[in-house]
Amino acid sequence: MKTPRMRLVAALVFPIVVLAGNAWMNHQQREAGKRITFPIEGFDPRDLLSGHYLVFKVNYEIAQGNSCPSSDINAKLCLEPEKRVYPEDELPAQCTLYLPGTCNSDKQFDAGFERFYIPEQKAAQLEQLVQAKRAKLELSIDQYGNASIRDLLIDNKPWKQVLSD
Amino acid sequence: MAGIDKKLALWEQNGLITPDQVDEILAFENGDNASPNNWWLYSLLVLGSAIIGLGVISLIAANWANIPDSVKLAADFLLLGSTAAAIIWQYDKTSGHWFDALIMIFLILCLATIGLIAQIYHIHGQWYHGLLLWSVITFPLTIFSRNVFVRFFWVSLFLHGFVWSCIAFADQGLGKNFQAMPAIFLFAPLAAAFFYLLTQRIKPITHFASSFYFWFEVAGLVALIAIDLIRSGGDDQTFNIAWYIPSWLVAALVIGLIVTRNDYSLLNKALLISALVLLLFYYQPNILFSGHTRYTFAALDAVQPVSLWMADDVRAPLLTTLILFLYAIHAGNCGHHRTFNMITFLIGLRFVVLYFQAMGGLAATGIGLIVSGLMIIGIAWFWYSSRERLQNWSKRLAS
Repeated sequence: MKTPRMRLVAALVFPIVVLAGNAWMNHQQREAGKRITFPIEGFDPRDLLSGHYLVFKVNYEIAQGNSCPSSDINAKLCLEPEKRVYPEDELPAQCTLYLPGTCNSDKQFDAGFERFYIPEQKAAQLEQLVQAKRAKLELSIDQYGNASIRDLLIDNKPWKQVLSD
Repeated sequence: MAGIDKKLALWEQNGLITPDQVDEILAFENGDNASPNNWWLYSLLVLGSAIIGLGVISLIAANWANIPDSVKLAADFLLLGSTAAAIIWQYDKTSGHWFDALIMIFLILCLATIGLIAQIYHIHGQWYHGLLLWSVITFPLTIFSRNVFVRFFWVSLFLHGFVWSCIAFADQGLGKNFQAMPAIFLFAPLAAAFFYLLTQRIKPITHFASSFYFWFEVAGLVALIAIDLIRSGGDDQTFNIAWYIPSWLVAALVIGLIVTRNDYSLLNKALLISALVLLLFYYQPNILFSGHTRYTFAALDAVQPVSLWMADDVRAPLLTTLILFLYAIHAGNCGHHRTFNMITFLIGLRFVVLYFQAMGGLAATGIGLIVSGLMIIGIAWFWYSSRERLQNWSKRLAS
């Protein structure tokens, strides 16, 4: 870092390295975790589409008695061995796969997955398929609760494959 | 050059300069000693670079579904790397036009890359987190920029990312809650003021100060107008303490930076701190305000109108005027003529608005319109004739 030119090189390399690292971490996250799928549905037929992404609500398929113990708390949804929502600090040790999230004011679990980027020209088609409840969200979740979206499935097939058929 | 020609002719006609001096000035301005005035070239280059950056983003955005993820990312990083190489190549060039234009392209490409990664991996973050990440990673590069527009661009996006991220951090529900907007309005000028005062103290980044100062003035006015409208309009304000904690913390830091400034007189420090504390009180619904109005539509239907001094729509303009007045004296005292003129003009404007608030019905009549017009002319005349006296008075206060 002795010369200004070297400092300029460092200033240019720094954002490239951070962005490349970010992309690599997201890629690793997506590839390394266990694949889990959940059905999705629109919040409201009128506002399913927002710009270039699809807005939806994930149905975590939690049995009635296993849902949020109270409202407006940080929570964790244990997926294995038993699907049940626990307050954040009460997750049992035997839970091997979980999703962190919150319990909203309606005592519904929300892990924050609510958008999927889509190309504008396919938007109307995908919107209809989601409204017809044929869509599922494929997540990749690791043992530490880190989760990322893998794909949008239509009738259990990747959306690109379905729309190209 | 047309402007200087006209001015020189006028000065010569009035005997201020001799014809020889006119010739010497023109020879100097036309010769090699002329100061480089290539702002238009800079502007066009930077504008062109911004459009190229946006074009690349649009091209990727329109076709992204048909391009494999790895190809998209590889192309993006190749573009980033090529631009970085071009910046290094242009670093030693004396003109520096392309250097700044390339930095601008690189900054936009970094922003596009964050968007691309978010799109490919469906990251459910907020836009302000993306802006904050972008400003952190690109900050070292902007220090090398020689163009004010590049720094202004960076400061604008950084402040937006920083302000929204801080309020969101204080309360996780911000993304779906527009009731937190007053907290954003209050925090924005305080954050801009903090960074303005901070950048003035750190030598390598002092040239960022003017951009922060610009946003401080704009955000400060927006904050004042927004809270004045809320209080004067009798609107209900949801006050969640968590939203305001960042403002109070940054206000304490700003006060600390003001107190420890050597170039501010005791009067300047007192004026600025008083204005800041009053602005903080303004955003508290229960300290200086009763929650009742006198001239709003809702208040007009009330069986017993609230007294003049208890009415929020009377207290609010008084507080707005007082804050503006304190800041105007500071500006006048420091020799900031434009700011002083603008603030004193706004004080007059607020009086006109207050008149229409209180006498709104009267303005619908012929006599009312005549009185209103006379009042506007009177305030304008008073402002124009007394601003210099007021500024001189404010300067004498510190001496």
